[in-house]
Amino acid sequence: MTPPAMDRLVARLLRKNTSKARIAGFILSNFIGLAIVLGGLQFFLDARTIWTSEDSFIRSDYLVINKKVTSANTLGAALPGFTTDETEDLRKQPWVRRMAEFTSNDYRVLVGVSSGGRGMSTYMFFESIPDDFVDVPRSQWLYRPGDSVVPVILSKDYLTLYNFGFASSAGLPQLSEGLMSSIPLSLTLTSEDGTRTRRFTGHVAGFSNRLNTILVPRLFMEETNADLGSGRPKAPSRLIIDTSSPGDVAITRYLESHGLEAAGDKSATSAAFMLRVVAGIILAIGTLITILSLFILMLSISLIMEKNRDKIHSLIMLGYDTGTIAGPYSSVVTTASLLAFALAATGVIILRTSYMAPLTGIGAQPAPLWIMPCVGTAMTTLIISLNIISVRKRIRKSFNNR
Amino acid sequence: MESIELQQVLPRVFESERIPVSDIWLTSARFLREERYLVEAASGGGKSSMCAYIFGSRTDYSGRILFDGEDTRGFDMARWQEIRRRHLAYLPQELSLFPELTAWENVQLKNRLTRYASDRMIAEWFGQLGIDSRRDTPAGRMSVGQQQRVAIIRSICQPFDFILLDEPVSHLDEQNNRIAAELIAGEAYRQGAGIISTSVGNHILIDHTSRLKL
Repeated sequence: MTPPAMDRLVARLLRKNTSKARIAGFILSNFIGLAIVLGGLQFFLDARTIWTSEDSFIRSDYLVINKKVTSANTLGAALPGFTTDETEDLRKQPWVRRMAEFTSNDYRVLVGVSSGGRGMSTYMFFESIPDDFVDVPRSQWLYRPGDSVVPVILSKDYLTLYNFGFASSAGLPQLSEGLMSSIPLSLTLTSEDGTRTRRFTGHVAGFSNRLNTILVPRLFMEETNADLGSGRPKAPSRLIIDTSSPGDVAITRYLESHGLEAAGDKSATSAAFMLRVVAGIILAIGTLITILSLFILMLSISLIMEKNRDKIHSLIMLGYDTGTIAGPYSSVVTTASLLAFALAATGVIILRTSYMAPLTGIGAQPAPLWIMPCVGTAMTTLIISLNIISVRKRIRKSFNNR
Repeated sequence: MESIELQQVLPRVFESERIPVSDIWLTSARFLREERYLVEAASGGGKSSMCAYIFGSRTDYSGRILFDGEDTRGFDMARWQEIRRRHLAYLPQELSLFPELTAWENVQLKNRLTRYASDRMIAEWFGQLGIDSRRDTPAGRMSVGQQQRVAIIRSICQPFDFILLDEPVSHLDEQNNRIAAELIAGEAYRQGAGIISTSVGNHILIDHTSRLKL
C-alpha cells in the first residue's frame, strides 16, 4: 500500500484546477435528479396502496363487464346474457388478453349467519369464475368434491350494507372484516322444485370491492349445478376480462358502442393507471436529470484532468500506477456522489413525513422504506463506477499517447 | 536487466532525411550493465528522443528497442511502471519537476514510491549539492541550476540497472558537475548499474568507458 503522505502529495498536485463551482453544480443536479427519482418512486410505492392494498383477489387490470340494464331487458325484449357472437367479438379485441364467463347458480341459496344466539338468513346467489382469475393462494381457495366447507369471497359492499344499513337498524352488532372471516356461514342449497337440498359451511376467504357478487370456487359451482340445477343452459350475464391496457380509451369506446358497462370500481382502475403513468413520467424526468448530472461530473473531471495532463504524464514517468493517479479523482467523485445521494435520501424522507399523514388518511398503507435507498445506492454506484472507469481510461490514454 | 539494445532505430522525423553516420541510428547499438556510456551529439541530433525511446515515454521511431532481448513495444503499462520504479532511472533534460511542490516534496514524490533512500541520506545529498537551504522552497522559485540538482537527487532515489542522464549538468558549474558525477557514479557503482549520459559539449565528469556519436 502507498503511504497516505504520498497520496496527499499526489492529491495536492492532481486536484489543482478543480472547480468547486462545477463540483457543486454536479452535487446540486445529482441531488435534484436523485431526489425526483427516489421521491417519485417512494410516493408511487406509498400511494399505490390506496388502490391495491384492499383488494388483492382481483387484479386491477381485470375488467368485469355486463350488459346495461334498460327497460327493454326488464320487459324481456332483449336477452340479459351474452350471445356466442358477442363473446367471440369481444375475444377478438386487441386489449383482451384473456376472457372468462361468470357462471351463476341454478338453484336457490339461503345464507345464514348466527352470532351470539341470534341469527339472520337471507336468499342469496353465487357466481364463479375460473380459479386462475382469483388472486388468492391455492390453499385458501380450495374445494374438493365432498368437502363440506366452501371458501367464498364477498363483496365489500355487502359488509357495508350489513354494518350501516341492517345491523344498526336491527340492533345487531357490527362486524369487522376479520371477525366476519372467522364466522362460519351456513349455506342451504335447494333445487328449484324444492325436492333436493344440500348443506354446506361457508368460510369467508376475503372481501373484494371490485366484484359485486359472492364468489365460490368453480369446481363447487359445477358440482352443485349438476346436482341441484335444472340443467337448462344459461347465457352468461357477466364476463371477466384480463386487459393488456387498463384505462385504454378503446375499451371505454367499445363498451359504450355495444351497450355494455364495466362493473366494480372503475375509478380505481383509471386512478391506479394514471398514478402509474404519472410516476413513470416523473421517474423518466428524474432519471434524465441524473444522467445529465453524470455527464456534468464526467465533463468536469475530464476538464480537471485535461488541465493537469502534464502532471499526470510526469507522474506516469515517475512510475506511478493508474490506481494511485486515479485516487484523488475517484475520491472527489465518490465524495460528491455520496453527498448528493445522502442529501436526496434525507430530502425524500422529510418529504415523506409531510405527505404520509394525508395519504394514510385516504387509505394508503406505508410502503417499506428499503426499496428507495436500494435504488439510490444502485444509481450512485453506477455513477461512481462509470466515472472511475472514465478516469482510469483517461490515465491509460495518457500513457498510450506517447 | 543486463542489456539495452537498439536495432535499426530511427526517429520517424528523420526517415525522409539523409542522416550523417551515427553510432546509434540505423545500426545495432548495445548498452551493457556496469559500463558507462557517453552519447555525444550536436543540438537537434535526437539525443533526447533516444532517451525518451529507451524510457518508453515516446514511440515515434522505427526499428526495435530490446531490454534483455525483449521488444519494449510489447510492454504494457504495469510492466513499464515496474521497470521505471525498479530497473531504469531517468533524468530528463526538461527535469519535469512539479513547480508547486518544494524541492524536498519533489524528491519524496519519487522516494515514497520506491522507498529506496532514507530521509537522512536524501538530506545528505541535498547538503553535498549545496541546496539544503532550498529544501522547503517551491521548485518553481528555484534557479534552473538548483532545479537540476533536485532532479539529479530525485533520479537516484530508486533501485536501477541503468540510469539515463539527458544533459545532466547543462546548468551546473564545474564544481557541482564533479559532485553530481561522484554522487551518480557512486550510486551506480553501489548498485552495479550502467550509466548512459548524453551531452552537447558540457558532459558530466564521469569516467566513461565508451563514447558514442549520435
